[in-house]
Amino acid sequence: MKISFKTYLDNKVIFMRNFLFLLLLSFTFSCHCNRDIHQPKYLRWVGDIEYNDKLDNSNFKICNGEENVLQYFSTAEGPVYFGEKSVLLEIFKTKYSPKYDSSQNGLIRIRFIVNCEGKADRFRMIQSNFDYEEFEFNTKITTQLLVITRSIEKWEVLYQDNVPVDYYKYLIFKIKNGQIDQILP
Amino acid sequence: MIRAFYLFVVFFVYQNIYAQPNCEVFKYNGDTLKYEACKKAMGIKGQYQFSKEYQSILNESLKIDSTFDYAYWAKSIAYLKSGDFITWKKLIDKAVDLNPVEYLGYRGWCRYQFFRDYEGAINDIEALEKIKEGDIAYSQNGTYHLKIVKGLCYKAIGKKDKAIEIIENQLIINEKIDFVGQFDYLHLGVLYLETNQLERAIETFNKQSISYELAENQYYLALTYLQLKDNDKYISCLLEAKALYLKGSKVMDVYDNPMDKIYLTDIENKL
Repeated sequence: MKISFKTYLDNKVIFMRNFLFLLLLSFTFSCHCNRDIHQPKYLRWVGDIEYNDKLDNSNFKICNGEENVLQYFSTAEGPVYFGEKSVLLEIFKTKYSPKYDSSQNGLIRIRFIVNCEGKADRFRMIQSNFDYEEFEFNTKITTQLLVITRSIEKWEVLYQDNVPVDYYKYLIFKIKNGQIDQILP
Repeated sequence: MIRAFYLFVVFFVYQNIYAQPNCEVFKYNGDTLKYEACKKAMGIKGQYQFSKEYQSILNESLKIDSTFDYAYWAKSIAYLKSGDFITWKKLIDKAVDLNPVEYLGYRGWCRYQFFRDYEGAINDIEALEKIKEGDIAYSQNGTYHLKIVKGLCYKAIGKKDKAIEIIENQLIINEKIDFVGQFDYLHLGVLYLETNQLERAIETFNKQSISYELAENQYYLALTYLQLKDNDKYISCLLEAKALYLKGSKVMDVYDNPMDKIYLTDIENKL
Protein backbone atom coordinates (compact mmCIF):
# COMPACT_ATOMS: atom_id res chain seq x y z
CA MET A 1 0.00 0.00 0.00
CA LYS A 2 1.44 3.35 -1.04
CA ILE A 3 1.12 6.35 1.20
CA SER A 4 1.56 9.97 0.20
CA PHE A 5 4.61 11.91 1.25
CA LYS A 6 2.39 14.20 3.31
CA THR A 7 0.88 11.22 5.17
CA TYR A 8 4.38 9.89 5.72
CA LEU A 9 5.47 13.23 7.20
CA ASP A 10 2.33 13.44 9.33
CA ASN A 11 2.98 9.96 10.72
CA LYS A 12 6.57 10.86 11.39
CA VAL A 13 5.56 14.01 13.27
CA ILE A 14 2.98 12.08 15.31
CA PHE A 15 5.53 9.40 16.10
CA MET A 16 8.13 11.95 17.21
CA ARG A 17 5.58 13.85 19.27
CA ASN A 18 4.48 10.64 21.02
CA PHE A 19 8.06 9.59 21.56
CA LEU A 20 9.06 12.92 23.13
CA PHE A 21 5.93 12.89 25.25
CA LEU A 22 6.72 9.43 26.57
CA LEU A 23 10.35 10.35 27.12
CA LEU A 24 9.20 13.24 29.25
CA LEU A 25 6.80 10.97 31.08
CA SER A 26 9.52 8.44 31.84
CA PHE A 27 11.21 11.13 33.91
CA THR A 28 8.05 12.23 35.61
CA PHE A 29 6.68 8.73 36.18
CA SER A 30 9.70 7.89 38.27
CA CYS A 31 8.45 7.90 41.81
CA HIS A 32 10.68 10.00 44.02
CA CYS A 33 8.64 8.86 46.98
CA ASN A 34 9.29 9.97 50.50
CA ARG A 35 11.43 7.12 51.72
CA ASP A 36 11.79 8.24 55.32
CA ILE A 37 11.03 4.88 56.87
CA HIS A 38 10.00 6.43 60.17
CA GLN A 39 7.72 9.31 59.18
CA PRO A 40 6.35 8.75 55.70
CA LYS A 41 3.11 10.35 54.55
CA TYR A 42 0.50 7.62 54.34
CA LEU A 43 -2.46 7.41 52.05
CA ARG A 44 -5.15 4.79 52.60
CA TRP A 45 -2.72 1.93 51.99
CA VAL A 46 1.00 1.59 51.40
CA GLY A 47 1.66 2.06 47.69
CA ASP A 48 -1.64 3.75 46.79
CA ILE A 49 -1.36 5.78 43.60
CA GLU A 50 -3.26 9.06 43.53
CA TYR A 51 -4.61 10.45 40.29
CA ASN A 52 -2.28 13.00 38.72
CA ASP A 53 -3.76 15.03 35.90
CA LYS A 54 -0.31 15.57 34.38
CA LEU A 55 0.43 11.87 34.13
CA ASP A 56 -2.79 9.91 34.07
CA ASN A 57 -5.57 9.31 31.63
CA SER A 58 -8.61 11.23 32.85
CA ASN A 59 -10.89 8.74 31.08
CA PHE A 60 -9.54 5.81 33.04
CA LYS A 61 -12.32 4.47 35.19
CA ILE A 62 -11.99 2.99 38.68
CA CYS A 63 -15.09 0.84 38.72
CA ASN A 64 -15.61 0.25 42.43
CA GLY A 65 -14.21 3.44 43.95
CA GLU A 66 -10.68 4.42 44.97
CA GLU A 67 -11.28 3.06 48.46
CA ASN A 68 -11.84 -0.44 47.09
CA VAL A 69 -8.79 -0.94 44.87
CA LEU A 70 -7.22 -4.23 45.95
CA GLN A 71 -3.78 -5.80 45.49
CA TYR A 72 -2.98 -8.32 42.76
CA PHE A 73 -2.78 -11.13 45.32
CA SER A 74 -6.02 -10.28 47.11
CA THR A 75 -8.00 -12.89 45.23
CA ALA A 76 -5.34 -15.57 45.92
CA GLU A 77 -5.06 -16.60 42.28
CA GLY A 78 -1.38 -15.79 42.11
CA PRO A 79 0.14 -13.34 39.65
CA VAL A 80 -2.02 -13.96 36.59
CA TYR A 81 -1.81 -12.39 33.17
CA PHE A 82 -4.27 -12.17 30.31
CA GLY A 83 -3.30 -15.07 28.09
CA GLU A 84 -0.84 -16.27 30.75
CA LYS A 85 2.62 -14.94 31.49
CA SER A 86 4.11 -16.47 28.37
CA VAL A 87 2.18 -13.87 26.34
CA LEU A 88 3.60 -11.03 28.42
CA LEU A 89 7.13 -12.39 28.03
CA GLU A 90 6.68 -12.59 24.28
CA ILE A 91 5.48 -8.99 24.12
CA PHE A 92 8.65 -7.72 25.80
CA LYS A 93 10.84 -10.11 23.85
CA THR A 94 9.59 -8.79 20.55
CA LYS A 95 9.18 -5.11 21.43
CA TYR A 96 12.09 -4.31 23.73
CA SER A 97 15.24 -3.29 21.86
CA PRO A 98 18.13 -4.00 24.18
CA LYS A 99 21.38 -2.15 23.93
CA TYR A 100 24.34 -3.62 25.74
CA ASP A 101 25.48 -1.28 28.49
CA SER A 102 27.53 -2.67 31.37
CA SER A 103 26.49 0.24 33.62
CA GLN A 104 22.78 -0.57 33.46
CA ASN A 105 22.05 -3.14 36.15
CA GLY A 106 19.32 -3.44 38.73
CA LEU A 107 15.59 -3.55 39.24
CA ILE A 108 12.83 -1.48 37.70
CA ARG A 109 9.30 -1.74 39.01
CA ILE A 110 6.33 -0.39 37.09
CA ARG A 111 3.19 -0.38 39.21
CA PHE A 112 -0.29 0.50 38.03
CA ILE A 113 -4.00 -0.08 38.51
CA VAL A 114 -5.96 -2.64 36.50
CA ASN A 115 -9.65 -1.86 36.48
CA CYS A 116 -12.68 -4.14 36.34
CA GLU A 117 -12.49 -4.18 32.52
CA GLY A 118 -8.86 -5.29 32.42
CA LYS A 119 -7.60 -1.85 31.37
CA ALA A 120 -4.61 -0.23 33.09
CA ASP A 121 -3.46 3.26 34.03
CA ARG A 122 -1.66 5.32 36.72
CA PHE A 123 1.71 3.87 35.88
CA ARG A 124 4.52 4.68 38.31
CA MET A 125 8.12 3.58 38.29
CA ILE A 126 10.85 2.98 40.87
CA GLN A 127 14.41 1.98 40.10
CA SER A 128 17.29 0.52 42.08
CA ASN A 129 20.63 -1.14 41.61
CA PHE A 130 21.10 -4.74 42.72
CA ASP A 131 21.86 -3.54 46.24
CA TYR A 132 18.30 -2.16 46.39
CA GLU A 133 19.62 1.42 46.43
CA GLU A 134 17.93 4.08 44.32
CA PHE A 135 19.45 4.28 40.86
CA GLU A 136 18.45 6.03 37.66
CA PHE A 137 18.57 3.91 34.57
CA ASN A 138 19.19 5.33 31.16
CA THR A 139 15.88 6.72 29.88
CA LYS A 140 16.28 4.64 26.72
CA ILE A 141 15.57 1.66 28.95
CA THR A 142 12.89 3.14 31.20
CA THR A 143 11.01 4.80 28.35
CA GLN A 144 10.86 1.58 26.39
CA LEU A 145 9.63 -0.41 29.36
CA LEU A 146 6.99 2.16 30.13
CA VAL A 147 5.82 2.45 26.52
CA ILE A 148 5.55 -1.31 26.14
CA THR A 149 3.77 -1.77 29.47
CA ARG A 150 1.31 1.01 28.61
CA SER A 151 0.69 -0.52 25.19
CA ILE A 152 -0.68 -3.74 26.69
CA GLU A 153 -4.37 -3.36 26.09
CA LYS A 154 -5.73 -6.19 28.17
CA TRP A 155 -4.87 -7.39 31.65
CA GLU A 156 -6.49 -10.22 33.53
CA VAL A 157 -9.79 -9.30 35.17
CA LEU A 158 -9.92 -10.45 38.79
CA TYR A 159 -13.13 -11.23 40.60
CA GLN A 160 -14.17 -11.19 44.21
CA ASP A 161 -17.54 -12.77 45.00
CA ASN A 162 -18.17 -12.86 41.24
CA VAL A 163 -17.73 -9.08 41.03
CA PRO A 164 -14.89 -7.78 38.82
CA VAL A 165 -12.53 -5.70 40.94
CA ASP A 166 -9.90 -2.99 40.48
CA TYR A 167 -6.44 -3.91 41.68
CA TYR A 168 -2.83 -2.81 41.89
CA LYS A 169 -0.41 -4.76 39.76
CA TYR A 170 3.30 -4.43 39.18
CA LEU A 171 6.00 -5.74 36.92
CA ILE A 172 9.59 -5.93 38.10
CA PHE A 173 12.23 -5.99 35.40
CA LYS A 174 15.62 -7.39 36.33
CA ILE A 175 18.01 -5.55 34.07
CA LYS A 176 21.52 -6.87 33.41
CA ASN A 177 23.80 -4.89 31.13
CA GLY A 178 20.79 -3.10 29.69
CA GLN A 179 19.01 -6.35 28.80
CA ILE A 180 15.84 -7.72 30.39
CA ASP A 181 17.06 -10.69 32.40
CA GLN A 182 13.73 -11.54 34.02
CA ILE A 183 10.23 -10.14 34.41
CA LEU A 184 8.61 -10.71 37.79
CA PRO A 185 6.35 -11.84 39.33
CA MET B 1 1.78 -39.59 63.79
CA ILE B 2 5.33 -38.38 63.16
CA ARG B 3 4.04 -36.20 60.37
CA ALA B 4 1.39 -34.73 62.59
CA PHE B 5 3.97 -34.05 65.27
CA TYR B 6 6.26 -32.38 62.78
CA LEU B 7 3.47 -30.27 61.40
CA PHE B 8 2.80 -29.15 64.93
CA VAL B 9 6.46 -28.27 65.47
CA VAL B 10 6.66 -26.35 62.20
CA PHE B 11 3.43 -24.56 62.96
CA PHE B 12 4.68 -23.67 66.42
CA VAL B 13 8.03 -22.44 65.10
CA TYR B 14 6.26 -20.35 62.51
CA GLN B 15 4.09 -18.75 65.05
CA ASN B 16 7.26 -17.03 66.27
CA ILE B 17 7.35 -15.08 63.06
CA TYR B 18 3.74 -14.98 62.01
CA ALA B 19 2.33 -14.23 65.42
CA GLN B 20 2.86 -11.26 67.61
CA PRO B 21 5.66 -11.48 70.15
CA ASN B 22 5.07 -12.16 73.81
CA CYS B 23 5.61 -8.74 75.39
CA GLU B 24 5.72 -10.21 78.90
CA VAL B 25 9.09 -11.76 78.09
CA PHE B 26 10.60 -8.26 77.79
CA LYS B 27 9.03 -7.26 81.08
CA TYR B 28 10.32 -10.41 82.73
CA ASN B 29 13.82 -9.62 81.44
CA GLY B 30 13.61 -6.09 82.80
CA ASP B 31 13.57 -4.41 79.39
CA THR B 32 10.75 -1.98 80.11
CA LEU B 33 11.34 0.13 77.01
CA LYS B 34 10.95 -2.86 74.71
CA TYR B 35 7.98 -3.99 76.76
CA GLU B 36 6.25 -0.64 76.15
CA ALA B 37 7.18 -0.69 72.46
CA CYS B 38 5.83 -4.21 72.20
CA LYS B 39 2.57 -3.35 73.93
CA LYS B 40 2.12 -0.43 71.55
CA ALA B 41 2.88 -2.63 68.53
CA MET B 42 0.21 -5.09 69.61
CA GLY B 43 -2.29 -2.46 68.51
CA ILE B 44 -1.84 -3.70 64.93
CA LYS B 45 -3.99 -6.70 65.70
CA GLY B 46 -6.91 -6.66 63.30
CA GLN B 47 -5.38 -3.93 61.11
CA TYR B 48 -4.49 -4.57 57.47
CA GLN B 49 -0.72 -4.68 56.84
CA PHE B 50 -1.04 -2.05 54.10
CA SER B 51 -3.15 0.40 56.11
CA LYS B 52 -1.95 3.71 57.49
CA GLU B 53 -3.31 2.71 60.89
CA TYR B 54 -1.11 -0.41 60.95
CA GLN B 55 1.97 1.50 59.82
CA SER B 56 1.33 4.43 62.18
CA ILE B 57 1.00 2.18 65.22
CA LEU B 58 4.35 0.59 64.41
CA ASN B 59 5.91 4.03 63.99
CA GLU B 60 4.69 4.87 67.49
CA SER B 61 6.19 1.65 68.74
CA LEU B 62 9.55 2.53 67.20
CA LYS B 63 9.39 5.98 68.75
CA ILE B 64 9.31 4.24 72.13
CA ASP B 65 12.15 1.88 71.26
CA SER B 66 13.94 2.24 67.95
CA THR B 67 15.61 -1.17 68.47
CA PHE B 68 12.37 -3.15 68.47
CA ASP B 69 13.12 -5.45 65.51
CA TYR B 70 9.62 -6.89 65.22
CA ALA B 71 8.19 -3.47 64.30
CA TYR B 72 10.63 -3.04 61.41
CA TRP B 73 9.80 -6.50 60.13
CA ALA B 74 6.05 -5.96 60.43
CA LYS B 75 6.29 -2.60 58.65
CA SER B 76 8.33 -4.07 55.81
CA ILE B 77 5.72 -6.60 54.67
CA ALA B 78 3.42 -4.22 52.78
CA TYR B 79 6.38 -2.71 50.94
CA LEU B 80 7.57 -6.16 49.96
CA LYS B 81 4.16 -7.17 48.68
CA SER B 82 3.71 -3.96 46.72
CA GLY B 83 7.08 -4.47 45.04
CA ASP B 84 8.71 -1.44 46.68
CA PHE B 85 12.07 -3.14 47.05
CA ILE B 86 13.84 0.06 48.12
CA THR B 87 11.75 0.77 51.22
CA TRP B 88 11.36 -2.93 51.99
CA LYS B 89 15.11 -3.45 52.02
CA LYS B 90 15.72 -0.50 54.34
CA LEU B 91 13.18 -1.81 56.83
CA ILE B 92 14.10 -5.49 56.73
CA ASP B 93 17.80 -4.64 57.00
CA LYS B 94 17.02 -2.90 60.29
CA ALA B 95 15.25 -6.00 61.56
CA VAL B 96 18.11 -8.25 60.44
CA ASP B 97 20.76 -6.02 62.00
CA LEU B 98 18.91 -6.08 65.31
CA ASN B 99 17.99 -9.77 65.27
CA PRO B 100 19.81 -11.77 62.60
CA VAL B 101 18.84 -15.19 63.89
CA GLU B 102 15.17 -14.32 63.58
CA TYR B 103 15.16 -12.50 60.24
CA LEU B 104 18.10 -13.60 58.08
CA GLY B 105 16.28 -16.65 56.76
CA TYR B 106 13.15 -14.60 56.14
CA ARG B 107 15.05 -11.93 54.20
CA GLY B 108 16.87 -14.59 52.19
CA TRP B 109 13.60 -16.24 51.27
CA CYS B 110 12.01 -12.93 50.25
CA ARG B 111 15.03 -12.05 48.13
CA TYR B 112 14.49 -15.29 46.27
CA GLN B 113 10.71 -15.28 46.12
CA PHE B 114 10.03 -11.68 45.17
CA PHE B 115 13.20 -10.53 43.41
CA ARG B 116 15.03 -13.68 42.26
CA ASP B 117 18.09 -12.26 44.03
CA TYR B 118 19.88 -15.61 44.10
CA GLU B 119 23.25 -14.48 45.41
CA GLY B 120 21.60 -12.35 48.10
CA ALA B 121 19.44 -15.25 49.21
CA ILE B 122 22.40 -17.63 49.34
CA ASN B 123 24.39 -15.13 51.41
CA ASP B 124 21.55 -14.68 53.90
CA ILE B 125 20.81 -18.38 54.28
CA GLU B 126 24.48 -19.29 54.65
CA ALA B 127 24.97 -16.49 57.18
CA LEU B 128 22.03 -17.92 59.13
CA GLU B 129 23.56 -21.41 59.01
CA LYS B 130 26.67 -20.02 60.67
CA ILE B 131 24.92 -18.36 63.58
CA LYS B 132 21.84 -20.48 64.23
CA GLU B 133 22.04 -23.59 66.31
CA GLY B 134 19.97 -26.47 64.99
CA ASP B 135 17.64 -26.43 62.05
CA ILE B 136 17.36 -23.23 59.97
CA ALA B 137 13.68 -23.96 59.32
CA TYR B 138 11.38 -23.17 56.45
CA SER B 139 10.42 -20.44 54.01
CA GLN B 140 7.80 -17.99 55.22
CA ASN B 141 5.05 -19.68 53.21
CA GLY B 142 6.10 -23.10 54.50
CA THR B 143 6.61 -24.51 51.00
CA TYR B 144 10.34 -25.13 51.24
CA HIS B 145 13.00 -25.89 53.76
CA LEU B 146 15.49 -23.03 53.50
CA LYS B 147 18.20 -25.48 52.41
CA ILE B 148 16.04 -26.39 49.42
CA VAL B 149 15.73 -22.66 48.68
CA LYS B 150 19.51 -22.40 48.84
CA GLY B 151 19.78 -25.33 46.41
CA LEU B 152 17.37 -23.65 43.97
CA CYS B 153 19.43 -20.47 44.13
CA TYR B 154 22.61 -22.38 43.34
CA LYS B 155 20.84 -23.94 40.38
CA ALA B 156 19.80 -20.50 39.16
CA ILE B 157 23.40 -19.26 39.17
CA GLY B 158 24.50 -22.30 37.21
CA LYS B 159 25.91 -24.48 39.98
CA LYS B 160 23.68 -27.45 39.32
CA ASP B 161 25.86 -30.14 40.88
CA LYS B 162 26.00 -28.19 44.11
CA ALA B 163 22.24 -27.62 43.93
CA ILE B 164 21.63 -31.37 43.53
CA GLU B 165 23.88 -32.19 46.45
CA ILE B 166 22.12 -29.70 48.75
CA ILE B 167 18.63 -30.79 47.76
CA GLU B 168 19.45 -34.51 47.91
CA ASN B 169 20.86 -34.12 51.43
CA GLN B 170 17.88 -32.13 52.64
CA LEU B 171 15.44 -34.59 51.07
CA ILE B 172 17.02 -37.43 53.05
CA ILE B 173 16.12 -35.51 56.20
CA ASN B 174 12.70 -34.50 54.90
CA GLU B 175 11.87 -38.11 54.03
CA LYS B 176 13.05 -39.31 57.41
CA ILE B 177 10.66 -36.97 59.19
CA ASP B 178 7.96 -37.53 56.57
CA PHE B 179 7.82 -33.88 55.62
CA VAL B 180 8.77 -33.47 52.00
CA GLY B 181 7.94 -30.08 50.50
CA GLN B 182 5.16 -29.74 47.96
CA PHE B 183 7.51 -29.25 44.98
CA ASP B 184 10.78 -30.76 46.30
CA TYR B 185 10.83 -33.88 44.10
CA LEU B 186 9.79 -31.89 41.05
CA HIS B 187 12.72 -29.49 41.40
CA LEU B 188 15.20 -32.30 41.99
CA GLY B 189 13.79 -34.27 39.06
CA VAL B 190 14.20 -31.25 36.77
CA LEU B 191 17.79 -30.88 37.96
CA TYR B 192 18.47 -34.53 37.12
CA LEU B 193 16.87 -34.03 33.71
CA GLU B 194 18.98 -30.94 33.06
CA THR B 195 22.15 -32.82 34.01
CA ASN B 196 21.19 -35.80 31.85
CA GLN B 197 20.62 -38.22 34.74
CA LEU B 198 17.49 -39.55 33.12
CA GLU B 199 16.79 -42.67 35.16
CA ARG B 200 17.11 -40.68 38.36
CA ALA B 201 14.84 -38.03 36.90
CA ILE B 202 12.11 -40.60 36.19
CA GLU B 203 12.46 -42.10 39.65
CA THR B 204 12.15 -38.66 41.25
CA PHE B 205 9.21 -37.54 39.12
CA ASN B 206 7.46 -40.76 40.10
CA LYS B 207 7.98 -39.87 43.74
CA GLN B 208 6.44 -36.47 43.06
CA SER B 209 3.45 -38.19 41.44
CA ILE B 210 2.89 -40.20 44.61
CA SER B 211 3.25 -37.29 47.00
CA TYR B 212 1.54 -34.51 45.01
CA GLU B 213 0.84 -34.77 41.30
CA LEU B 214 1.37 -31.69 39.19
CA ALA B 215 1.09 -30.72 35.53
CA GLU B 216 4.74 -29.66 35.66
CA ASN B 217 5.77 -33.08 36.93
CA GLN B 218 4.18 -34.85 33.94
CA TYR B 219 5.52 -32.22 31.57
CA TYR B 220 9.13 -32.70 32.66
CA LEU B 221 8.62 -36.46 32.79
CA ALA B 222 7.51 -36.20 29.16
CA LEU B 223 10.70 -34.32 28.31
CA THR B 224 12.70 -37.05 30.00
CA TYR B 225 10.99 -39.72 27.88
CA LEU B 226 11.66 -37.60 24.81
CA GLN B 227 15.36 -37.75 25.63
CA LEU B 228 15.01 -41.52 25.91
CA LYS B 229 13.22 -41.55 22.54
CA ASP B 230 10.10 -43.15 24.03
CA ASN B 231 7.51 -41.30 21.98
CA ASP B 232 4.44 -43.09 23.38
CA LYS B 233 5.26 -42.16 26.95
CA TYR B 234 6.27 -38.68 25.83
CA ILE B 235 2.82 -38.05 24.34
CA SER B 236 0.87 -39.71 27.16
CA CYS B 237 2.72 -37.65 29.79
CA LEU B 238 2.05 -34.46 27.85
CA LEU B 239 -1.65 -35.30 27.64
CA GLU B 240 -1.68 -36.02 31.35
CA ALA B 241 0.14 -32.72 31.97
CA LYS B 242 -2.49 -30.86 29.99
CA ALA B 243 -5.35 -32.53 31.86
CA LEU B 244 -3.73 -31.71 35.20
CA TYR B 245 -3.08 -28.14 34.14
CA LEU B 246 -6.68 -27.58 33.10
CA LYS B 247 -7.81 -29.12 36.37
CA GLY B 248 -5.66 -26.62 38.26
CA SER B 249 -3.10 -29.13 39.57
CA LYS B 250 -0.05 -27.02 38.83
CA VAL B 251 2.77 -25.19 40.54
CA MET B 252 1.33 -22.06 42.09
CA ASP B 253 2.06 -19.36 44.64
CA VAL B 254 -0.01 -16.37 45.65
CA TYR B 255 2.83 -13.88 45.15
CA ASP B 256 5.12 -15.24 42.48
CA ASN B 257 5.50 -17.74 39.67
CA PRO B 258 7.72 -20.42 41.23
CA MET B 259 10.74 -21.97 39.59
CA ASP B 260 9.99 -24.76 37.06
CA LYS B 261 6.45 -23.50 36.55
CA ILE B 262 5.10 -24.03 33.05
CA TYR B 263 2.20 -22.56 31.09
CA LEU B 264 -0.46 -24.17 28.96
CA THR B 265 1.27 -23.01 25.79
CA ASP B 266 4.42 -24.89 26.83
CA ILE B 267 2.42 -28.11 26.78
CA GLU B 268 0.34 -27.35 23.72
CA ASN B 269 3.37 -26.33 21.66
CA LYS B 270 4.73 -29.84 22.12
CA LEU B 271 1.55 -31.74 21.33
